[in-house]
Amino acid sequence: MKLPQILLTLFFSACWVGVAQAVDAPYREYDQMEDYLPHVKGDMRLSGSYRHWKDPANLDWRMAGSPEDNWKLNWKFMDPPFNASVHGGHFALDRGESIFKELNKKGRFAACLGARKGSLKGLRARYPMYRPELKHVAGMEEMIEHCGAKEGRVLQNGSYDNSAISVYVASHSNGMPININVTSSGPLKASYERGRKLFHTRAGRFNLACSSCHTKQIGLNLRGTVVTTPYGDAAHFPVYRTRYQLQSLQLRFAECNLDARTQPLLPSSRAYTDLEVFITALTNGYPVSVPSERD
Amino acid sequence: MRISRVMVWLSAVFSMSAVSSEWPTDLAVSPSAVNMTLQPKVVVNSGRLEWAPFKRDLTRWPSLSHADKQPTPKPRKVMLEEPLNGDPIRGRELALAREKGYCIVCHELPGEAWPGTVGARVLNFKQHNYSNELVFQQIFDSRAFNPNSVMPPYGTFGILNEQEIRDLVAYLQSLD
Ligand code: HEC
Ligand code: HEC
Repeated sequence: MKLPQILLTLFFSACWVGVAQAVDAPYREYDQMEDYLPHVKGDMRLSGSYRHWKDPANLDWRMAGSPEDNWKLNWKFMDPPFNASVHGGHFALDRGESIFKELNKKGRFAACLGARKGSLKGLRARYPMYRPELKHVAGMEEMIEHCGAKEGRVLQNGSYDNSAISVYVASHSNGMPININVTSSGPLKASYERGRKLFHTRAGRFNLACSSCHTKQIGLNLRGTVVTTPYGDAAHFPVYRTRYQLQSLQLRFAECNLDARTQPLLPSSRAYTDLEVFITALTNGYPVSVPSERD
Repeated sequence: MRISRVMVWLSAVFSMSAVSSEWPTDLAVSPSAVNMTLQPKVVVNSGRLEWAPFKRDLTRWPSLSHADKQPTPKPRKVMLEEPLNGDPIRGRELALAREKGYCIVCHELPGEAWPGTVGARVLNFKQHNYSNELVFQQIFDSRAFNPNSVMPPYGTFGILNEQEIRDLVAYLQSLD
């Protein structure tokens, strides 16, 4: 083949590759990727607000009372031990305990969730994890639905009873730092990488990515609300909210999607699970704190 | 007449089957409803998650589903034909209306409490001496100037029509 011919062949095969990619990968826009550290202290590079909330027991109550400064506490003043008031999260905890005990009479329910020697201690801090039984990475609430079904009980992911059990299970890890490994190669790391990309993918009627608000607008006002850092959020979910009663992390994604006029996904969807892994990795090193409340 | 109806019907069936085979199964939708989008409703002391219709259908735009094949509408450059013929009073209404511009979420506008602080303050806008065309393009599709802009592409995404954007330009240009 002469050089022009080779160039021509190369040109056409390049076109072909371009077409093939266009067919299975639709046009998408991404916010510029941040350099994330899968640990809560990574926020020092993003918003720097971590310095104000890294010690949950000793928050500055004056900042909590100041409308200009309270977002810098990442709303942690609404978590225990700072917040000692009784709220809907405590009722959920009680309900979760009674359903859990009913389902776990033979110890099978806890074992199915991944408890070691029947103990729930530390279990929440290791979620989401790869579950060989499902052959994929699953969040705590997806497992509660799955293991509940095996005991003959309907506990849909996102439902009140499911989240109530999740709060009860999490309460055994209170004070223990979230600890999921997304740096050694494996399904969890792959899920983290997909989640990181999704976090930066523009979608919906306003063409916004999660990061359009949660990295570019931290500390800025969207009308009356101030956006906070995505670091450190996963430790207080499911959370009590007056409007939602009890909200799992994946239902929070659905709320943010709807607020930003993006079609929401079903709980347990692969995409929301990937986002959950990403958001949870940004909370590595921060202690589980339930029951919590938010506005 | 009859033939053309059959053709329309046939092509509708074809395009529907084309959509449904590509339709992601993990969207929160009720496929038979006019407004397909659903929002979750948590019911106290229940193991079931309820879903209620959302006020708008959002299935026309890409979601975060891995199976979503809908492309994001690409940035568009537009020309503005003068005269502007915009109505500044209508423009102000659009800037405050929740399901229209709702510019106030991000921008400070004169005489309004609780403004957003994400975009620049739009107070004495006239002093910038921007051309109508530039302001029209910024609202129609700001990605033409800044690919990383977080301001929604109101024109390209069909949130506002051309006349509505003309009204907004007239409103901003009237602020001195
Ligand atoms: C239009 C702006 C916007 C977009 C887009 C957005 N969010 Fe939010 N998000 C907010 C606001 C405002 C809040 C409430 C204030 C806060 O806690 O930051 C919030 C809260 C949250 C919270 C709860 C934080 C807590 O501590 O309780 C999580 C988690 C979250 N968002 C994740 C996401 C994810 C994941 C996406 C993308 C699917 C997303 N958000 C998209 C504006 C947005
Ligand atoms: C989600 C946030 C957001 C919304 C909603 C929004 N904007 Fe913006 N706007 C921005 C940002 C950020 C900029 C800065 C430039 C850029 O990134 O495109 C901007 C820039 C502008 C500018 C150029 C200002 C200058 O001095 O250079 C104009 C004009 C403008 N916006 C008008 C509007 C109007 C009119 C609306 C409503 C129809 C609107 N914006 C809605 C975020 C927003």
